[in-house]
Amino acid sequence: MITLRSLTKRYGARTVVDDLTFDVEPGKITGFLGPNGAGKSTTMRMVLGLDQPTSGQALVGGRRYAELRHPLREVGALLDAKALHPGRTAEKNLLAMARSNDIPDRRVGELLEKVGLTEAARKRTGAFSLGMSQRLGIAGALLGDPKVLMFDEPVNGLDPDGVLWVRGLLRSLAAEGRTVLVSSHLMSEMQLTADRLVVIGKGRLLADAPIEEFIASNSVSAVHVRLPDAGDRRALAERLRRDGAEVDLPSDGELVVRDIPVERVGDAAHALGVRLHGLSPRTASLEQAYLELTASAVEYGVSERTVGV
Amino acid sequence: MAATHAEWTKLWSVRSTWWCLGSAAVLMVGQAVATAFSESTEIPASRIAVDGVFYLVQFVVLALAALFVAGEYGTGGIRSTLQWVPVRRRVLAAKCAVLAPTLFVVGVVLAALAIAVSVPLLNERVPGTPVGEAVRTALAAGAYCALLGVLTVGVSVALRSVAGALTVTFLLLLVAPLLLGGMGLVAVLDYLPGIAGVNVMIGEGELSPLSGNPVPYNEFAGLGVLAAWVAAALVAGDAVLRRRDA
Repeated sequence: MITLRSLTKRYGARTVVDDLTFDVEPGKITGFLGPNGAGKSTTMRMVLGLDQPTSGQALVGGRRYAELRHPLREVGALLDAKALHPGRTAEKNLLAMARSNDIPDRRVGELLEKVGLTEAARKRTGAFSLGMSQRLGIAGALLGDPKVLMFDEPVNGLDPDGVLWVRGLLRSLAAEGRTVLVSSHLMSEMQLTADRLVVIGKGRLLADAPIEEFIASNSVSAVHVRLPDAGDRRALAERLRRDGAEVDLPSDGELVVRDIPVERVGDAAHALGVRLHGLSPRTASLEQAYLELTASAVEYGVSERTVGV
Repeated sequence: MAATHAEWTKLWSVRSTWWCLGSAAVLMVGQAVATAFSESTEIPASRIAVDGVFYLVQFVVLALAALFVAGEYGTGGIRSTLQWVPVRRRVLAAKCAVLAPTLFVVGVVLAALAIAVSVPLLNERVPGTPVGEAVRTALAAGAYCALLGVLTVGVSVALRSVAGALTVTFLLLLVAPLLLGGMGLVAVLDYLPGIAGVNVMIGEGELSPLSGNPVPYNEFAGLGVLAAWVAAALVAGDAVLRRRDA
């Protein structure tokens, strides 16, 4: 369990993480979503005690990271896969890591095998591709068999096989009852992996909800109808409204119909005998919803601050 | 202990450590042979070892310690280090606990090696080096290398860059004595870390090749002077390490 309470980080006048409060619960994958620069990595660094919060708290299992006697056995994290001495081999790197927390040396071989780096164990990490570095970072995160895991953009640089492998791994970690926090700037990735979504923009919490709830409240579907005749357009609009639809007339020759399926719109047109030039269902993607959500946060952030000053 | 074990593993798993130690050995033996072989040499074998430490080996010690500690800021490895061991003072202590004994052994072995290769080559006009004096010089060289390494740990963590750490330690060891000597502040020289190190190696009352004066204090006082510099560097390093974000 990760607990953030009013977590805030400022660099001078710039607020990077702004009063974040949320919990990351065990047994599920929590997607931590936001555009680049939204404060995801800074938040994770504060959980690990690498950055000092300006105010507020980040706790793991109720304690600060620095208070954990063997932190790697309680929290596994992959933040920056390339933050390693390039001249050290994968194996020696994990060996030093294991020894720092009194984790048995044999775990190193086990983990290298698990992430598919056994062949590359004796290679210097400077020669690793980003994908291999990510795998090594994941091995490091799992080394101490921790209950809490944090991954910052773990599929970055992985090939499609690797991406599938990471998704499966995250699923199984959550299924084992572990707390899993995964950041990404891609909604599409989160849609496939996360059980719960925490969305931030400009350091602020924008949404914190189960993924189904987020999808339900943020994805809007509509039917677009194109008709050449203005009279037909009015008639069809009237008919659909009577059927309980919400109808917009955004431009000449077009209707946007919400709340009823495309089949019923087609049937209504047929019944009225109106000529159609187009009839198409459109679902605003979750990606779009997410972009709108984060974009507006930027605007609100600016205007509120202006008012505050 | 775990943090020290990890740092030990890290120290010996990069090539730069082996390069540094190998080149220190080559430089030390090379200069000892060349000096001892020369007809004009008038200093005993123990002094050849001291010269080798001051003019060659200590810079390798600086490079080794700076790469090991400040180098982590360049590679980003410091973030891993602090994630593994979040108590920052423990990281600092572990780095020192690994470097000090290693560099002590390096200093002792290289000084002993320099004396051993010099003795048979020196001409008969040069006074001999009794075994006791050889042992004393070697131990002093070890202590100097160890303390210098720990001083560099402090400076590295305070400045967070290899270039910065090397610049400051160079200034302290080489440039400061020249400047202060040039200003006529000869009395101060014996309290600079590099000169104090040489003083410890040559012993009380001997004429210092650097300041030209007899060494004004015994070995233990000299080690005390060095320890004060080390303590100052560690206090500065600790303050920066505890406050700054990684």
